[in-house]
This record gives sequence, C-alpha cells and structure tokens, in this order.
Amino acid sequence: MKISYRWLKEFVDTDLEPRAVADRLTNAGIGVESITPVVEGLAGVVVGEIEAVERELGTSAAGHVNRLVRVAVPGKEFSVVCGAPNAAPGRRAAFAPPGARLPGLGPVKAVKIRGVVSEGILCSEKELGLSDDHSGILLLPGEAPLGADLTTYLGLDDWILDIEITPNRPDALSVVGVAREIAALTGAPFRFPRVVATEADVEASSLAAVRVEAPDLCPRFCARVIIGLTVKPSPPWLAQRLRAVGLRPINNLVDVTNYIMWELGQPLHAFDLDTLAQHTVVVRRARPGERTKTLDGQERALGPDMALVCDPERAVGIGGVMGGADSEVTGATTRVLLEAAYWDPGSIRRTSRALGLSTDAAYRFERGGDIEAPPDVLGRAAQLMAELGGGAVAKGVIDVYPEPRPHRRVALRMSRVERVIGASPPREGAVRILQALGFAVDGSGDDLQVVVPSFRRDIHQEDDLVEEIVRIWGYDQIPLTPAGGGEIQAVTEPAGLRLARPMRRALNAAGLSECVTWVFLDPDRLERMGWSDREGLLALQNPLSVERSVLRPSLLPGLLEVVGLNANRQMPDVRAFEVGNVFAPHRPEDGDRPAHEDLRLGLVLTGLRAPRAWFTAARDRVDLYDAKGMAEAALQAAGVTDVRTVPWSDDQVPAYLEPGRAARLVCGSTALGWFGEVALAAREVFDLPAPVFAAELSITALTMLPPASVRYEPLPRFPAVQRDLAVVVSGQVTAGQVEAAIRAMNLPLLSRITLFDVYTGGQVGAGRRSLAWSLTFQAPDRTLTDAEVNRVHERIVAEVTRQFGAEVRGA
Amino acid sequence: MAGDPRVQEVLDRALADVAGARSTSDLEQIRVRVLGRAGRLTALLRSLGGIPAAERPKVGEQANRAKAAVEAAITARLEALKAEERRQTLAADRPDLTLPGRRPLPGAVHPLTRVTEEIIEVFAALGFSVAEGPEVESDYYNFAALNFPADHPARDMQDTFHVGPDALLRTHTSPVQIRAMKAQRPPVRIICLGKVYRRDILDATHSPMFHQVEGLAVDRHITMADLKATLQRFAQAMFGPKSAVRFRPSFFPFTEPSAEVDVRCFKCGGDGCRFCKESGWLEILGSGMVHPNVLRNVGYDPEEVTGWAFGMGIDRIALLKYEIDDIRLFFDNDLRFLQQFAGLPGR
Repeated sequence: MKISYRWLKEFVDTDLEPRAVADRLTNAGIGVESITPVVEGLAGVVVGEIEAVERELGTSAAGHVNRLVRVAVPGKEFSVVCGAPNAAPGRRAAFAPPGARLPGLGPVKAVKIRGVVSEGILCSEKELGLSDDHSGILLLPGEAPLGADLTTYLGLDDWILDIEITPNRPDALSVVGVAREIAALTGAPFRFPRVVATEADVEASSLAAVRVEAPDLCPRFCARVIIGLTVKPSPPWLAQRLRAVGLRPINNLVDVTNYIMWELGQPLHAFDLDTLAQHTVVVRRARPGERTKTLDGQERALGPDMALVCDPERAVGIGGVMGGADSEVTGATTRVLLEAAYWDPGSIRRTSRALGLSTDAAYRFERGGDIEAPPDVLGRAAQLMAELGGGAVAKGVIDVYPEPRPHRRVALRMSRVERVIGASPPREGAVRILQALGFAVDGSGDDLQVVVPSFRRDIHQEDDLVEEIVRIWGYDQIPLTPAGGGEIQAVTEPAGLRLARPMRRALNAAGLSECVTWVFLDPDRLERMGWSDREGLLALQNPLSVERSVLRPSLLPGLLEVVGLNANRQMPDVRAFEVGNVFAPHRPEDGDRPAHEDLRLGLVLTGLRAPRAWFTAARDRVDLYDAKGMAEAALQAAGVTDVRTVPWSDDQVPAYLEPGRAARLVCGSTALGWFGEVALAAREVFDLPAPVFAAELSITALTMLPPASVRYEPLPRFPAVQRDLAVVVSGQVTAGQVEAAIRAMNLPLLSRITLFDVYTGGQVGAGRRSLAWSLTFQAPDRTLTDAEVNRVHERIVAEVTRQFGAEVRGA
Repeated sequence: MAGDPRVQEVLDRALADVAGARSTSDLEQIRVRVLGRAGRLTALLRSLGGIPAAERPKVGEQANRAKAAVEAAITARLEALKAEERRQTLAADRPDLTLPGRRPLPGAVHPLTRVTEEIIEVFAALGFSVAEGPEVESDYYNFAALNFPADHPARDMQDTFHVGPDALLRTHTSPVQIRAMKAQRPPVRIICLGKVYRRDILDATHSPMFHQVEGLAVDRHITMADLKATLQRFAQAMFGPKSAVRFRPSFFPFTEPSAEVDVRCFKCGGDGCRFCKESGWLEILGSGMVHPNVLRNVGYDPEEVTGWAFGMGIDRIALLKYEIDDIRLFFDNDLRFLQQFAGLPGR
C-alpha cells in the first residue's frame, strides 16, 4: 500500500525524515519496501495564467494545432508555443519559464519553434512527471495563486512509502493506521481529526431508508445523504494525492470515497440517490440464479451466500465488494447516498473468490473492518463531498446496527511478557505502548486490564498483547539467552532418512549423480508408459499445467526425463538416482494421512559405463547387470544382502519394462523393488534412442525389515582348497537355479561359491551356455585332503548333472 | 705379522674378482669358486695338514678372516649390483606420470542434499532430532491446527495445490510439527524437513516445489531470547563465526510474537553487495513463539510450556551459498550443473 509522507504528517506530529520513519515502521512489523519522491527533477514551475492566444502556427506532426499564447505571472509576461487543445485564455496552468527544470527534460530554455521564440513550456502532467497524461496541459483552478511554486501548491515535495501490511493488520491499511504506529513508536502526538459535518435542516431519514435483511452478512450499515451536488473534476491537490498513491482520479464525488478510504481505512460507496427505487437500500442475500452488472460493466452470476445491496426492485451492488453499474454516480448526479458498512469478513472473502473479483474494498473487508468507524468516517466524507461538490449534508446518520458489539477485554500479566520473551520493558513502558496503540489500559491491579479497540480485530488473548508491547519496544531489545536446564534427549532420525544416507553415499561413490525431479507428472506420458489405471494416480485439482498435474507413482518417469534432457544437451551417458516419495491413493494403514506415500530410491543408467578414458575399453556400455549391481550396492549399504531375484513372467511385467529383462528384488517375503531394462515404448515417450536400465527400491519397505546385524565368525585357521566347476547347460537353466541346487545340498565343507564365467558361443553349441563357478572348500578344524575335496566335488558334479542335464567341462 | 702368502693370494684374487663382477650370477660363481666345497679357500684350509702344527692355528685364523672378507665383499657387491639392475629395469620402463590417474569418478551430491545434510548436522549438535511427515496433507494439519482460520486472507500467503476434498500438497513443513507434538509430550526439540508446494509459476526465483527446514522447541523455559540465541548459533555454524541475526516483527498465524529473521550477509560480511541488495542482511528465516492456540490444538497447556518455531527455504540458502542465479537449475538435473557438486567438501 502506498502512503504519502506528508499525508501521514497530518495525523502524527513527527520531525523524523521519511527514511527514519520507514526504518522505525519496518522494525515494528510494518514493512516499508521502498521510499520514492513524488517527483524528481522538478523545479521552478509556477502557476501561470494564459492571458491570450496570439495566433495559430500550423499543425504539428502529431496533429496538434500549435498556437502562440501569452502567459503571465506577476510582473512578467512570456510568449509560449503550445499545442495543447485545452489551453484557453483566462485559464491558470502549470508553467515552466526558462530556468525551470522538468523531469526527463532537464533545464527549460527559450527555443525557436516554427520561427517563433517560445519562452518556456505550459506543462502536461506527463511533462511534470505526475502521470502519463499528455492529452493537454495541467489546468489549475482560478483560485490558484498566480506565480506560486507548483511543487508547494500541489504538495509535490513529498515521498511515497510503499508499505507491506500483513493480513492480520487491516487497521494499518490506512494513513491514520500507519500514523498511529508512528506515534506509538516515536512518542510523537497522534492527531485524529474528528470532523463534525455541517448539516442542513433536511433529515436524511426523510430522504432515504435502509433495511438490512441479512444482518449476519452485514452487521452494520450506515448511510448519509448529501444533496445539491455538482459533479466535476476534483481539485488538483486531491487528484494529485490520489495519483501519488496509485489511484485514478474520476470526479469529485467518487474521489472523496477513495480519498477517505485511503485515509481512514473504511471503504465507502456513493450511490446516486435518485437511481434507487423508493430511495431505499435493502441489504439481502442473493436469490437463486440472480445476476447483476457491476461497476466494471461485467454481468455476474450470484450465489445465495453473497450479500447484495439492492433497492426494492433490483440489486445495485455486491456488498463490500463492488458497486453496481446502474446506481453509480454520473455527471448528472446531484444527490448521493453515501454508504459505510461493516461486512462479515469470511463472507466477503468467499464472495470475492467465487466471483474472482478483488477490489480495494473487498481486500479490506475480508481482513476485517472497524465496526465502530462508519458514523465518523461518513461525517468526514460527507463534509468533504459537500465542500467539493457545492452541496449540503442532510441531517443525521442512518445507522442499522442491531447488535452492537462490546469491546474485547484481555488481562495481561507482566510476568507473561517475561515468560514468553525472556525480557520485558518496565510496566509503565508497556502501558504507554498499549495506550499509544489505542488500547484502554487499567493498571490499578496486579495485572493490566486492557480494552481492545474495535479496529484491532487481531487481538484476542494475552500473548497478542505481549507481541504488541515487544514489537513497539523493539525486538533488538531481546537478549540472546539460551534457555537453561531442560531435559537431555537422544537425537533421533526417521528410519527412512537414516537408511537413505548410506544408500546415497554408495551410489555417489559408484559414480551416480543425485537428482531432484518434479513430483508433478504428465498424465498423458504416464498413460503411454503403462500407468493406464487413472484411479491409482493422484491428480492435482488445480495444477499449473496439465503436463505437471499428476503426483508421481514412481521415480522412473522423472529420471527418464533427466536422461532425455541430458541427451538433448549432448550428454548421452547418464548415471543418476533420486530419493523421494511416490504417491498413491489412501490405504487403511495410512491412518489420518490423506494419501499413501512410499519413500523410494530410483536409478537410471544409460550409455557408457564409465567416461571414456585412456584406461577404459572404448565401447563398454552399461547393461542390465549394472542396474542390478547398483541396486544391490544400495541395498548392501542399507544392510540388506540376502536378496533374491524373482523374474517377472512376461504377462506380469510392468509395461514400462521389457519382458524377460526385468525382475523383482525380494528379501524374505518383503518386495524391495525391481531392476530391468526400460521398455522401448516407454523410452519413446521421452525420445530416448539408447537402451536405458533402471531400478527402483522402496526405502519404506527397507525400514520394515528387521535391523541388520553383523555377527563375527571366527577366521579360518586351516587352508582352503579352490576347485572350479564348469558346466554346460541348456539356455533355459539359470545360474541362480544351479547355485540354489548346490546350496540346497547343504555341504558343510563348501564355504563359498562364486560365478566367474558365463559363455555362449560355437564351442558350447546353440541354445546352450557354459557357466563356471569357483568353489571354495574349507573345514574349521583341519586341513582338507585332496581325497575329501574330490569326494564332495564329485557329489556336486553328480547333482548338477542329474538335475540340469549338465555336461561338465574339464572336470 | 705376515700371513701365509697362499691365503693372501687367494684373498687378493677373490676380492679383485668380486670388484670386477658384472652380475649377480658372476658373484655366485665367485662364491662357489672361492668359498664353495671345492673352492680355493676351502681347499686351502683342507691342506692345512701340510704345514707345521705350530702355524696351523694362525693360518687357520687367517683363512677364516679371508673367508669373512670375501663374503662381505660379495654381499656388498651384490647390493650394489641389485641396485644397479633395478635402476636399469626402471629406466627401461619409464611411466608417463602426467597421464590422468585411474580414479573412480564419484557422482554428484545434489546441492539441496548437501545443504540439508549440513543443516541437520548443525541442529543435531544443538540437540535437535529430525522429524518427517506426509507431503499430501489434510487441511487440518496444514492450516486449521496451525491457527489459520477458514476463509482468512492469511491463507493467501500460501497458495495451495489441492489433491482431493480434504487433501492438499503441504505448503510448509509445519504440519510435521503438529504431528510430532501430538505424538509426544514436551520437551520437544525437532527439525522437520522436506518438499513443500505452493502454486507459484516457475521462474528464476519461484518454484511450485521447493524444500523447507523448520525447527521447533517446546519446554518449560523456552523464550524468544532462547530463539534468538539458537538461531544465532545456527547462523554462526552455517555461515561462519562472524554471522549474526536480526529480528523484525512479522505475522504468521501459528506464532505470536512472530519475526522475520535476517542473517548478516555471508557474502560481503555486512558491507553490502548484490546478494543482499546492498543492505548487509539476508532475509532467510521466519520465526516466532508458538501460538498458544497451536499448543492447545495439540493438547499442550500454554501456561505450562512455551515454544518457538522457525522455518527457512533450503533452496534459497543453496542459491545464495553457491551463487546460483536460477532455481530451475535444481530441478533440471543437467549433469554439467550437478557435476559441479561432486566431491566438494561439505562446507
């Protein structure tokens, strides 16, 4: 919100410079974002009078008729070339004589235009730096003192403070509210002008009536009537002040409502009284299907919880949000019904959001108005309107306020300040602060009895007062004192985070980079990857775009996106992983968590296994076993080594993985995740030409496993014997099957079995495969003899031959 | 005393041969020739029977000394020859020491992970546990329990993604505080961290998905002075011993009093630079004393315990710390970006 420094000074008597005022406000929670002078580079411009138009000089390139005019200031006359259509004899205007300075133009000099010397410039608002209006010169009223400095006359020697007001402080959305803060902060006197309107004899209640049929939505509705008005432009000082704070001047009557709202914080609305049927205002709920046209010319559909301002025949405005087009002040208006009301904040917010209509009024009312403000605000506004419009204020305020609200009372213990803050100003200081902020304080007892003013809707309880006191006292007064005592507690971490850390490190060490990808995915891409079950996906109701509208069911799509992005940037070799949650609809075990979340680790590998280097094989590309190995390394880092590979059957493999090239990883009966080759169709979704291998593990599932424990086994004291076992088996037989069969023999002397060679090719025959293991035999209590080892080895050979029809090579 | 000339002769000859040996095998031959079973010195000793008995001990002793001298010479020569052979072997196969080392290339630690881990470490040292909670939350945990009234403009401060009738993407990690407090009695000292979501259009400085860390301390003697002291310690551990904090009043529905916390700019030390927009301070944290309504909502008695809470954006700290000018880089995962964070020291 923009606030003028000079305007503030009308309410608080401070000598502080604008910068100092801004610092004090910021340190009290009224954040000043910027301070800017109203105009810069303006000097020497005065009020001049156009005495006569001497002659026309022809049409300019821009189509203006240039004229030579005579401009007078006391004791001097100037010949000036002027193209403005509104330069008329007898009018006073902003005049920059030679030697003056204009923003953007610099010093003004006498120059020759169309063969004539122009001694100065009659200035537009744009040339003065006041607005972008260049349609004519700035005309001033006849009473503007001739020769007076324009800066002083229009109050341009001013600064604009741009202030950010937090949503809890609607009272500070006004000049007077900010002035009150400055008074409390500086101790400077706060002046609140109580304007009593000069009233005519005619009673307002005889000219208009107000009926409130929805007092829950509109707890108070006040109105005054002003008669005998003439609509015309506002005087320059008023128009200038509105412009300076970012409001557009319209006419004297509407400008008064905006001016007073800015000054006092109470939104006002001016109705043309003679457009209201029976000169009566009715506040009621909208009827089903009702529509109305608002001031902005839009036709709006209304809902039953919206408060309408109506006359007995039709709606004339949406209460607290925007007035209606049919009842607005026009050039022909002479009698005005001026409204100041208090609207229910929640209702205003719902209405304003439902209509997508955010106005200065709604902004204030949804934060909470001051229910006691309307009568006084109306007095000041009506008086000003009568002054500027040449009218008279009818007698009395029409005030519909069926249930007056009592002031809230809050007791404050000074000990509470100390308790919460760890420090406290003295009691008298606290009382002074509260009083300066508008609270009534009874300090006669042990505790302070505080009466909360109606404009501070944010103060409910004791700690709210603690904040008020400390805020003004100054946060920099609070010492840095660690709380002593307290119970010493063990520092703990969630199991998932604790497991993820070594897994991340293991993959980092193995050359994989960690990514953080978007949680929101494209449903179309997901469907093309095989997540056709829309019911199993969680979608945002209000996404920023459809491409980012579904919560990820897996880390794979995000990682494939990473592969795609890097491939497009000439980095075809990607080794990456991510740790993050994936989402599914709520399940019973999720309790009060609205969705099912699973912490996962996903990884992708594509391209070269290692960056090309002088010591690497030139074309060593990653394959399925890299993905499996990385998954196993991550699991090992999490303390899980007992992992089984359970291949998916072709009809059960997820669509995003290639059939026959993907398997689940299982520990006991717990599914830990999967690894595999990404299906061609899924790759095509991301335009990935090269094979991609991936794995995904559930860290949540890992946390459910019994904690890994390491138990020492005595080191062997007797030498081991190595034997190789090379067998040729059918291509259908897996290494895992053979190994499992050997393990199932439960041979006590066989201490380790390691697959060291896999070979397919001419020598072993089509459809067959050679597998070779290194077997380690060892006994804990003696050195094994060759004969013993041979016996066991022969049993193994016999078993493998029997079970798999294996042909043993070079036994 | 002159010794037996024969012994001397064998010795002189042997030493000369040793000195002239060109290889270890030469030396081995000399050893056999002189000291072996059929060697000259051995033969000489055997022939002692042919000399007068009175001289025998003398000559025997002389022969033994000669034997020791030859052995010592052989050993010394052997050492020298081995060294020479090794030198020649090495010289014949000189490696190019400028070739790149055969080094395992570590992957990148994501900068957000890096900063998160640092923060966890600093607060662990201050006695704070880590707590987590769901990213899809209910209105109750994300707003109502945190003292955000329904239909209140305070909710505009955090524009929300909705997932269902009562399911939304959490807009801050504060709901974790509620869950943690509901699950235990005071004292509570935790930090909560994770992804949060606000409906902001993605640009260089805003992202609809970002990361937060919040802290919460609830106990019998917690004050705002303790909050200041804790955040000062955090700032100094995170940003260096000269760091300092500055508190400004602000508004959050869940704290009262509330404060924005500025940290002295760790880029310029407070002198003013482009990172702090010449102010010397960086606005990094929001904080305050836990609102009594929030304590009541979790079943705590605000007369018995008080608490403080703070929150900050991990992304913002990472942007500042590494002088990254576009938040989108965190989520693009361009490997050339990520690899800049491989193998960096933690701080």
